[in-house]
Amino acid sequence: MKRIALVLVLFAVSWLLPMGGGVCASKTLEIGALFPLSGSLALLGEESFRGVELARLQRNKAGGVAGAQIVYVQGDVSTVEAARSEAERLIEQKNVHLIIGSYASSRCMAASEVAARKGIPYFELGAVANEITGRGYKTMWRTNPTALDLSRAQMDFIVGWLAPQLKKKPSDMKLSIAHEDSDYGTSVAASCSRLAKEAGVQVVSVEPYAANSSDLSPVILRLREANPDIVVGVSYAQDAILLSRQAHELKLKAPIFGTGGGHSLRSFAEALGPVAEGVFDSDFTQYAVNPDFCPGLLEFVSLYKEKYGEPPRSGHSLANYVGALVVFDILEKTGGNMDPDAIHKAAMSLDIPLGKTAAGWGVKFGENGQNTRAPAFIMQWRGGNLVTVWPKSAAVAEPEPAKAQ
Amino acid sequence: MDLWLQALVSGLLLGGVYALIAIGLNLIFGVVRIINFAHGEIVMLAMYLTYWLHDLYGVDPYLSVVIVLPVMFFFGAAFQRVIVQPIQSTSAIMKIFTTVGVSLLMQNLALIFWKGDFRTINTSYSMSTIEVFNIMISIPRLVAFGTALASIVVLYFFLKYTSVGKALRAIVEDNSVARLMGVKVEKHYLLAFGLGTAFTGLGGALLMPFSTVYPTVGFTYTLLAFVVVVLGGLGSMSGTFLAGLFIGVVESFGGTFVSPALKEAIYFGIFILALLVRPQGLFGMGKGTEEVGLK
Repeated sequence: MKRIALVLVLFAVSWLLPMGGGVCASKTLEIGALFPLSGSLALLGEESFRGVELARLQRNKAGGVAGAQIVYVQGDVSTVEAARSEAERLIEQKNVHLIIGSYASSRCMAASEVAARKGIPYFELGAVANEITGRGYKTMWRTNPTALDLSRAQMDFIVGWLAPQLKKKPSDMKLSIAHEDSDYGTSVAASCSRLAKEAGVQVVSVEPYAANSSDLSPVILRLREANPDIVVGVSYAQDAILLSRQAHELKLKAPIFGTGGGHSLRSFAEALGPVAEGVFDSDFTQYAVNPDFCPGLLEFVSLYKEKYGEPPRSGHSLANYVGALVVFDILEKTGGNMDPDAIHKAAMSLDIPLGKTAAGWGVKFGENGQNTRAPAFIMQWRGGNLVTVWPKSAAVAEPEPAKAQ
Repeated sequence: MDLWLQALVSGLLLGGVYALIAIGLNLIFGVVRIINFAHGEIVMLAMYLTYWLHDLYGVDPYLSVVIVLPVMFFFGAAFQRVIVQPIQSTSAIMKIFTTVGVSLLMQNLALIFWKGDFRTINTSYSMSTIEVFNIMISIPRLVAFGTALASIVVLYFFLKYTSVGKALRAIVEDNSVARLMGVKVEKHYLLAFGLGTAFTGLGGALLMPFSTVYPTVGFTYTLLAFVVVVLGGLGSMSGTFLAGLFIGVVESFGGTFVSPALKEAIYFGIFILALLVRPQGLFGMGKGTEEVGLK
């Protein structure tokens, strides 16, 4: 009996000690952060997380949000199943009341579904699938451009610059789409088809394929048969490279126009060398962009280099950095309150014009929670660098005619 | 006509790559009777080795084979000794779990050490082609095809005419009887695993000029290698080669004339049909070898 009592006392004391000695001087504000940090999407999942982490460090240094230091409760959404279970874990076990994420559309759809059912606000900062803000959830928000935005910039450029270059009317232009077959590729391809129809451009073929294929010659052969003026590519890293390599080998005449994903990565230019020269790409803001249109961009890049010892590997970190800052501003307005209605009120009250954030975006949320002032830009690969060529306000160079393979 | 020919040529070249990856598995699967789910990771390892030799020391992928082959041989022998031998007598399920675990371990170790970046090698011949009657043939893929063919021939003669080869074939047929006949089975397991891994490594090195390597690239190769080996029939080198070509051509035709999104589904469908008709594979060693690895 004495021994039991002694054990119980020691146990109780061991619980109290940390509490007594560890009273924090500052409050903390916990935000859930779901990104793919392992598995096939790890590279850009990590790049995306670096963006939100830099935002956190920067804001905490400036005093935090509503007097509290921001702390992330992390989850690794390496697979779609993990997205579901990690969202559950963060909300049920870790008591998180607001989540940011997630880079990949498939992971976002799964995790935000869980959050929506439990009434937890979910801020997507990087995934593009249209359906993310198309499900009618009042707790779903997105700061970045959608697949439709990527396609819109692309189609505007095709009609406004490419068609005149080829001396063709839009109605005479023939377009093919080659896309990877997950949420990302399918969503962008659908947006592209829709916008092409509206612009009067003929879509002569659509070729879905698996991103991890070791051979895409069937896609190239079918594209050759369809004989388009331009091929819209929606690819991840390895298939963007493979598609262009095999297009070059099999002498596909039409140039490929990338839509984010693998076409924006350094690995694309490195693998293809001169073949990548002149390739157009519609995507989030990249780094060779007019800094006057993107206040804070240069500071972000030097912060990134300081912390990670290398320049940013893609525009994902920038997009997530800007998105996280928007979330912090919303929380500042609610005084740290994460109740969905308070978040809704604060978010809808934001009205920042284009060209006022580090990505050149503005902030104005629509009824469905989508930021209506996040356009995509058109870039072109030049000498191994992804250079912004359109719109003029963000451009650092004039677009040059894309060469045929 | 051009389209058919080009699709056929592309398919054959692709099939050559598949055969190259599968040869090593045929040897390992046949002799040691283990379903090695980490097979694709061996390809990934060889690809990374080739990549780093090129990136850090400027070694041409085709020359780096001189280093890759012995390194992979020893890796394979070590794999057999350290991971497979202790569980040799356990159930098939146990062996499957173990190799799946090794596969995950290798993928994530690669992720930790080499990060998730997608790495490619750009050599002067990476995108070179020769044109024959309007048909484009990719040179690095042709080299892989040629190597697959040469490997098959070399292995065939090795297995048929050397005493070591005969011992290996005896183990494939029935390892208990082979043991009774005086064959040192464990030593031959080491050899088979080392040799099989070396050939797989050769495949990985030859893939690098036209492929991308990243930590999870192995998965597709594992699945493909098994399909090719089972379809071709265990123990038959020519079976592996022909099954590889068959899968490559089916994938190419399916992708070109039906839909690129369905190309894998089509060859898997044909694979299932083929097994229903002939469970021991197209060129298998006859009845009795259908349930390899599970008995």
